[in-house]
Order: sequence, then structure tokens, then C-alpha cells
Amino acid sequence: MRFQDAARDGRAVVYAGIQADPLVARAAGLLGDASRAQRLLARAVMNGESTDADGWRSMFPTLFGPAATAADRERSEVILEVSLAVADRGEQVRSQVRGALVEELTAILLGRRVEAANVRRERRILFDGIRAEIHPYDVTVERDRAAEAWDCKWGARGINADVLHQLDDAHAHATDEDERLLVGLVVFDARRSCDVRLARQSAPTAATRLVTLETLDALAGRKP
Amino acid sequence: MPAATVSDAIERASAAYAALAELGESIEDEWSYVTDLQAAWQARFDAISAARGGTAIDAATDAAVDAAIDEIALIADPHRAIDWLSTFPQVVLLALGEPG
Repeated sequence: MRFQDAARDGRAVVYAGIQADPLVARAAGLLGDASRAQRLLARAVMNGESTDADGWRSMFPTLFGPAATAADRERSEVILEVSLAVADRGEQVRSQVRGALVEELTAILLGRRVEAANVRRERRILFDGIRAEIHPYDVTVERDRAAEAWDCKWGARGINADVLHQLDDAHAHATDEDERLLVGLVVFDARRSCDVRLARQSAPTAATRLVTLETLDALAGRKP
Repeated sequence: MPAATVSDAIERASAAYAALAELGESIEDEWSYVTDLQAAWQARFDAISAARGGTAIDAATDAAVDAAIDEIALIADPHRAIDWLSTFPQVVLLALGEPG
């Protein structure tokens, strides 16, 4: 089993520009230290219709009301501001930004559990005698006997048979080579919605870890 | 005027949620997912209502649920509606102080 950079085709070049957008790094940095409620705020605002900040504050009284600490309120305000900036992009761009954000957040959290240099993006995994998958893995952890491959989704709806097969195949091929490869999905959405999505999939899922909005901190090795 | 209750809030949220699901159902390929998703979250709403429906809620919580309802009323795109079929109940549950 070995890792390789993904081919730099047209899609990859365009997407690299999205990934390099400073807004993606800023939002991911903030959400790396956010509470579950703050992450839900970001999810709602980034996919919202309204750009009225007061309306969002009203929707999240636990974050902006008197019960919140000054520090939490301040962080929530910054998350709201950044999320509105994402929402302000055109529909197609904000969709790409949201996807890149989940990947960046995943990389940040993984980098708190393993050496940051071992966390890589957009990598393929090659196995002897097996034709390489076209689509790279969003985030990988590349280290001996404890490698990981993660695919990242903004919402539960992004879970599909192709990605589940790809992750399961990678796990099976690694096992065939007597290698250890943890495979998983990171979904910036509720576990309940992911379970509904997975219930209709016939693709194998037994070897695939599922990390959701409620359990993101597990990527960093922290108990949710 | 009597204080609003958890049941009042969930009743309003459920009506808005049903309308959102109807919009999402227009994406034919996702019809099953939309109906299953709605059923799963509506069951969660119903369980809360059964457990503590008579509990009074404060004005901020009541306003939070209304703000969420107002937000999904703005949605015209069925794809966005599907995304909000997951987001909306989470927001309502958070406002009501419930775990997801």
C-alpha cells in the first residue's frame, strides 16, 4: 500500500483554488475549537437564505443570549460573521467552499492527534495489482501501520454507494496486503440524518467509521 | 396570555417542516430519502412533545423556533430544502434544550 498525489487535472486545479481561499482556513480554524451548537450555527448560516445577522442571533439564543459566557458569545459572533461571508458567495462557489471547509476542519482535527506532517490532502492509495481509484481521498493520515483515509461530506445527502464502496475496497485491499488502514466518512451533519441515508445503501459499511457533527472532536482524539 | 409550551412550538415547527419536505420531494431521485428523513425527525419531535409537551418555554426559545420557521419559509430551491430537512430539526431541538 502506498500513497500518491492525485493527478492535477482541470477539476483539481479549480478546486485547489477554492481550498486555498483564506475564508476556508479562517472558518475551519474557528470551527476546530467550536462547540457543537456553534458548528450547527455555521451549518445553518452557510446554507441559509437570510443574511440578517439579528435573525440568526434570535435563532440561537443559547449562543447569543444572556446565558452564554462573554467568551462564547464573542466566538459565536465571529463564527456568524464568517458563515455569513460564506453564504454571501454565489450558490456554486459556496457549495465548493463548504466542501473544502469540511476537509480543512478534518485535517485540523486530525493534526491534533497525529503529527501534522502525516496529514495529507487529495491523495490516492495504490495497492499491488489493483487498478487505482480515480477519485482521491480528501484527507489521509500517512504513517506506518496506522494509516487512515477519510472522505468528507457537507451533508448526509452526500453519502452514496460510490464513496462507500471506495472506502470499503481500500480497507479490504489494505487487509489483503497485511496493512492497517482505517477508513471513514466525516459528515458535517447530524448522526440521525446520516443513519437515514445509510439505511438505504446496499454498499458495505462495516469497516467504515462515521464521524458526524456530534462526534467531530473524536478526530482529534477527544471524547465527544 | 398563557405562556407558550414545548408542544406549541413543536406543533408550529412540524407544520413548517412538512411544507419543507413537500418541497424536497420534488427531487424525484431523493423522494425516499426525503420521506425517511422527515419521518425520522418528526418521530423525534413527537417523542419530545409526548415527554414534556406541557412544559412552558421562555420568550427567547419561542422566538428562536419562529426564526427557524421564518428561515425555511424563504427556501424555494428543493435541493436546499433537502439540506434543511436535516438542519431545521437540529436548530429547533437546540432551542428547546434537547440533545439531537
